[in-house]
Amino acid sequence: MTKAVFGRLLMFLFALLAGDAAAHAQLPTPGRNAIAAALVAEGSAPRAGGTVQLAVTMQPQPGWHGYWMNPGEAGVPPRISWTLPPGLRAGTMQFPTPKPLLISGIMNYVYEGPYAHLVTLHVPPGVTGTIPLRAHFQWLACTDEVCVPEEGKLALDLPVGDGAVDPVRRAEFDRYRAALPLPLDRAGTSAVTDGRFRLALPLPGVDAAGAYFFPAEDGRLSYSAAQVPSRAGDLLLIETGAEGAAQPVSGVLRLADGRGFAVRAEPGAVPRADAQGGLGTGILAITALAFLGAVLGGLLLNIMPCVFPILSLKALSLARAGGDERSARAEALGYTAGAVAMAVLLGGLLLALRAGGEAAGWAFQLQNPPVVFALLLLTVAITLNLAGLFELPTLGGQFAGEGNAFATGALATFVATPCTGPFMGAALGALLVLPAAAAVAIFVGLGLGLALPFLLLGFVPALRRRLPKPGPWLERFRRVLALPMAATAVALAWVLGRQVGVDGMALGLAAAVLLAAALWAWGVRQRNGASARWTTWVPAALAVALVAALPRGGAAPASTVTPLLAERFSEARLAQLQNERRPVFVYFTADWCVSCKVNEKTSIDRPQVAAAFRRANVATLVGDWTNADPEIGRFLAGQGRTGVPLYLYYRPGSQTPEVLPQVLTPGRLTALTT
Amino acid sequence: MRFVLASVTAFASITAAAATAQSVPAPQVGAAARDFRLTDSNGRNHSLAQYRGKTVVLEWNNPGCPYVQKHYNSGNMQRSQAAARERGVVWLTVNSGAPGKQGHMTGAQANGFLTEQKATPAAYLLDARGVVGKAYAATTTPEMLVITPAGRIAYMGAIDDKPTSKVEDVPGARNHVLAALDELRAGKAVSVAKTRSYGCSVKYAT
Repeated sequence: MTKAVFGRLLMFLFALLAGDAAAHAQLPTPGRNAIAAALVAEGSAPRAGGTVQLAVTMQPQPGWHGYWMNPGEAGVPPRISWTLPPGLRAGTMQFPTPKPLLISGIMNYVYEGPYAHLVTLHVPPGVTGTIPLRAHFQWLACTDEVCVPEEGKLALDLPVGDGAVDPVRRAEFDRYRAALPLPLDRAGTSAVTDGRFRLALPLPGVDAAGAYFFPAEDGRLSYSAAQVPSRAGDLLLIETGAEGAAQPVSGVLRLADGRGFAVRAEPGAVPRADAQGGLGTGILAITALAFLGAVLGGLLLNIMPCVFPILSLKALSLARAGGDERSARAEALGYTAGAVAMAVLLGGLLLALRAGGEAAGWAFQLQNPPVVFALLLLTVAITLNLAGLFELPTLGGQFAGEGNAFATGALATFVATPCTGPFMGAALGALLVLPAAAAVAIFVGLGLGLALPFLLLGFVPALRRRLPKPGPWLERFRRVLALPMAATAVALAWVLGRQVGVDGMALGLAAAVLLAAALWAWGVRQRNGASARWTTWVPAALAVALVAALPRGGAAPASTVTPLLAERFSEARLAQLQNERRPVFVYFTADWCVSCKVNEKTSIDRPQVAAAFRRANVATLVGDWTNADPEIGRFLAGQGRTGVPLYLYYRPGSQTPEVLPQVLTPGRLTALTT
Repeated sequence: MRFVLASVTAFASITAAAATAQSVPAPQVGAAARDFRLTDSNGRNHSLAQYRGKTVVLEWNNPGCPYVQKHYNSGNMQRSQAAARERGVVWLTVNSGAPGKQGHMTGAQANGFLTEQKATPAAYLLDARGVVGKAYAATTTPEMLVITPAGRIAYMGAIDDKPTSKVEDVPGARNHVLAALDELRAGKAVSVAKTRSYGCSVKYAT
């Protein structure tokens, strides 16, 4: 017993000594700050009438940390007071994204490694000579054990010059800028219920796991309470302990990858997280829902004019196949495989284009005139076949075998895409935020939905028996079905006309006539029991060859099928286009920017905008700021912007762009070219 | 072996005490102040309940913290303690610093500090396990609490409105504690009942 007490005492004394020694060892060297602060300028010779970026660089000794603008439960934010020559103005000090540091249950918002506060200095016109910059800077340096308030006189003399920036300094300042939080384009909502603070931020395209919110204001949330991040669609949610009633709040959201976003929120409704139990199931739930939506959408497509004729004839032929269960099933499976394969092929192509930076949308192949031209000829051929001008095994009825069935399924899906738009828009919108695997699931669903009726027919003999018995009426029915197919051909001709003008449409129609002649010649020979010969092949080949004569205008090469032929933004490319005296439309976007994506969907990726820009020879440059590219960051800053979206239009010969509103309409864009 | 066991038990009990302290609701202005019992620098026990009927001031102290030093080196804290004593207010200085951490003091060290600084609190309470500090959600030194004779929290936060470590900022500052005591004595509501405390973090064990 006494031994135990003695042991405890010894332990206690040891801890006391060790702790003391540690605390002393951590005190900063006399005459040297625990965090060294210095003032540096990006441009060594700023231009009068311009701005220069200043940085207060902070170098903490190992084990020491400095504080964010809101220090947390303890600590003090740094303060700077400038003494500047008259007319010069220093902007507010900017804070990089901090880290949470919990010491003995007390939350601190800190910087542990080297960091820098950026300040923009405005130099008025007419300033000459050397500018003396002086500032009194106070900051708190702490370890886990001790705190030392430090201060320093910052001084820098800058001669007024041409504003040139040394590349090494630029790279250094690019690092400082990259550490600043990116301003989020939209405000979120915050709510307090049952003592819980809940925050919803419109931030798609980022991983919620490990996200942490730093409030700029005091009394918004319980600092030391754990934060639980989750997702609700495009919203990133943070839940933690509340400190008071819901109030407007601003601050910084830090992601697990270190990126920060400057955010703000007003009191309002905060939706529930997608699913209990974390992110993985959330994505699964969205995917499952989108998959069901896609199946339903595919099912609906069956009654569209583009698909119905193919499907119904296929169905009737299956009925004709009679009682042979096995071949019926094989047919159904073949057709389904074809439909799904084509949907996945088109979807995969779409995703690949997206990954490659193209702003492609569903039915993107219809934005490519040669593809529309080919589709027009195909629908004309199908129309004529249905009308009885000639027979084709696949569509005419006397076919068998899974190979044919596969081709028919693929054809049905391909021809169906023009009709998908209005139905599938919403489901395909989910693709923006879903991982590729989930997106592929949606395309599978689409193909499956399309093939579903046929699949049922193949596997449920009862359904097959209820189909009307084939007879002379079937031929009449087939003729009637030629009408919706012809309507599809008309629609495609119209699309072609919108894309390449009246000349192109006339060309397409001429090709259709040639093809009709070819098929008629073939049909005549078929009835005489002969096979096709030059009377068929020559006009058919001619018809197809006419595609080469399609007006080029913007007739996109296969690799660029986006409506706007957007190139990657760079200042060099912009200058080059301006030298060519071309009008230039520049837009800046990011995957996490909801406003950007909405504008792209509703206004920028529009055929009428593409056509208008093509007519006026407008070049389009797109800058993707998803990962805070420093060149784009500098350009935005040069335009007086801190974030995206930003839409600029440069008229030929003008160096100053027209800044477009952040809410776009197609009309606003097309009006630029008039 | 028994030595290790004993140490582990001691450590576990401290952790458990801290855990229970954290699970109670955070103190609020207007809410009842939780009772506590602590030993002072002279080995005497004090409970909050024994001062029912008197106004009580709690001051969190860490002599090593530059922000605490600001208010002692300027004499501001001593003047506030004297003013409170004149008004019949019980001033309790609390040290929640854990052994081995900055500012932790034994009874003798605390008495030496009070003598050296000519400080006159009613008592200097030793809260080395941080139980009372955590029950009152004290995060910084100096952090202040004013409790009414009825045992309700009337003020919590900083000592004044100049969150710096500079002695020269004391004269122009508003002393929130003395202002609250004056308003309570005049039977008025405390106009500034909650502020953000500033200073070093309380050096708890865990």
